[in-house]
Amino acid sequence: MSYIRLSILFFTLSFSPLSLSIAQEISAPDFAISHGQLPSKLSALKGQVVYLDFWASWCKPCRKSFPWMNQMQKKYAAQGLQIIAINLDAENALAKAFLEKVPAQIPIIYDPEGNIASDYQLLGMPSSYVIDKNGNIRFSHKGFFTRSEPLYEQELVLLLNE
Amino acid sequence: MQLTSNNQLAKGTKKVANINTALAAATCALLGTSPVVQAEENVWEMDTALLYYGETDRVTAVEGVFSAKKDFGDEHIFSGKFVLDTLTGASATGAVSQPNAQTFTRPSGKGQYEIQGGELPLDDTFRDTRLQLEAQWTQPLWDNMRGSTGVHFSKEYDYLSIAINGSLAKDFNQKNTTVSAGLSLAFDTIDPEGGRPVAFSEMVIDEGQFADEQDYQAAFDATRQKDSDDKSTVDLMFGVTQIINRRMLVQFNYGLSTSDGYHTDPFKVLSVIDDQGLTKSLVYEERPTERTRHSFYWQTKYALDKGVADISYRYATDDWDINSHTIDSRLRFNLTDNTYIQPHFRYYQQGAAEFYQPFLLEGSTLPTFASADYRLGEMTAYTVGLKYGMKMPSGNEWAFRLEYYQQDPKNAGFDAPGALQQLDLYPSLKAVIAQVSYSF
Amino acid sequence: MLKKARIILAFLVSTQLAGCANLGVKPWERDLLAKDEMALDAEGNDLGLDDHIYFSKEATSGGRAFAGGGCGCN
Repeated sequence: MSYIRLSILFFTLSFSPLSLSIAQEISAPDFAISHGQLPSKLSALKGQVVYLDFWASWCKPCRKSFPWMNQMQKKYAAQGLQIIAINLDAENALAKAFLEKVPAQIPIIYDPEGNIASDYQLLGMPSSYVIDKNGNIRFSHKGFFTRSEPLYEQELVLLLNE
Repeated sequence: MQLTSNNQLAKGTKKVANINTALAAATCALLGTSPVVQAEENVWEMDTALLYYGETDRVTAVEGVFSAKKDFGDEHIFSGKFVLDTLTGASATGAVSQPNAQTFTRPSGKGQYEIQGGELPLDDTFRDTRLQLEAQWTQPLWDNMRGSTGVHFSKEYDYLSIAINGSLAKDFNQKNTTVSAGLSLAFDTIDPEGGRPVAFSEMVIDEGQFADEQDYQAAFDATRQKDSDDKSTVDLMFGVTQIINRRMLVQFNYGLSTSDGYHTDPFKVLSVIDDQGLTKSLVYEERPTERTRHSFYWQTKYALDKGVADISYRYATDDWDINSHTIDSRLRFNLTDNTYIQPHFRYYQQGAAEFYQPFLLEGSTLPTFASADYRLGEMTAYTVGLKYGMKMPSGNEWAFRLEYYQQDPKNAGFDAPGALQQLDLYPSLKAVIAQVSYSF
Repeated sequence: MLKKARIILAFLVSTQLAGCANLGVKPWERDLLAKDEMALDAEGNDLGLDDHIYFSKEATSGGRAFAGGGCGCN
């Protein structure tokens, strides 16, 4: 019986390759920020929950995350959430054209050389990292799935309530 | 072959394998075909095309394709395809030209047709409609792995083909390398009108020698096998796709195909020639019941600043001794952000099957297998074409394609006796291909 | 002939695989590869129609995809 249960568990796990979150606790690599609304480096945001989103204009699923990020920023800003979207387009003009079509109400940082992306060892696009108030990466997501939005939000709430 | 999708490449865990259905009449959709572009979730993507294919003095075909694809979320993708084509016109029978007029019995046994002296014998009774349906399901399985499975159905008046396929693809090396393996099983049934000819039986031609219709019919029936026959095909494919750098990716496929069953073309004959080069009789062809084929396919795509270069090479060899080389290239040049032109060039060369012969010599020993079908003979062929595409503000796309295809059959080393020396035994075939596509 | 083909295959595969470790791009460097027209099955309908034509007119089929059944009787 327990063998069967184990098998079922195994099957369930193996067929959910898009499992969304990986619990971990690694210090978030720091980087310099030049943006009017933000401090000069990531580590200066300690005490807030930071959601880092890596995106590019050519990445179709990246588009889906913007309305959600806009909404979350608005909803949880007062509780200390800071969403930052890091653009990885090699050409800045492409990112600008994208943002005209998909408005962002969150700060955008440009990383055309992929330096920050390298530090975070991105596995795919889009990728996002949820950083707790102590500056540790607690969750990461590869891809953005509309059906998983409630889960992403739960993670934010969990860290905001710590 | 590969299941990767470009975007998917771009996307980390997500991947898509949009299965590109491959061949029409015959081929089954395959799995492993390509890094595909990832479908937008929960939106049907439709691609339609209408193709005209017209040979000078021979076959004309019109083929309509409707394909649809939808991502039901998290890269669980369905794709379907519907193809309808009609064929009319005249097709080479395998018989050689003669200085004088020749009379042939139609494959059905009902009626005759005349071919003038110096003309290549063509049977003008070809008229067929074919319906093809395909469905394919692809989804992620476990870590970095995708699976795909599909069915294929094709039906024409005298021919039915059913196939199933399945394949797996796995990504390595940060999704820069994709390895895939696929299997396809096809089962075909043929039941030509008038029956399948008995191998090497002589074409019965009513030249007044029969007392009545019944006598003729009895003689015709004696050359026929009434029941249907079938053929089964097993295809295996292994593929590797590798991203080389920011601009280039390559794909390599090895394919092994074995088929068992009826391979003969029931409409093809061979002329039996005397030493003057004159036809004494016509006999129906016979091909082996087995064929094993190997193919090696290499494709490279390179992103230009304003366009794409796509070049492929295929080497194929089989146990009928047919070896072929194919080079195909498409160069896309973006004229503006929304329009492009794409020249296409293809070159093909094949050697003759071991049992190919343009005619039989009277009095010589009958071979076990023989066919005078020029498509099994030595030939070169080329295609040149141009495509123009434009994306509308809505995102829908129109494309127009115009191509010219020419086949030049060659003498694979056969000496033509007497009168045949004055005749063109290996005439070229010329065709125009025109296509309109609309994607929405 | 087959033997020759096998040697070619072995060569192609080995050179390909040997190079793999150093080849490739980072996930954020796929901007050009992500274009629709860079997909290996871009223009799927065109490729399918071409395959049908050449399957019917030539002795070789497959390579890019399964060779498959069918009669190609015209």
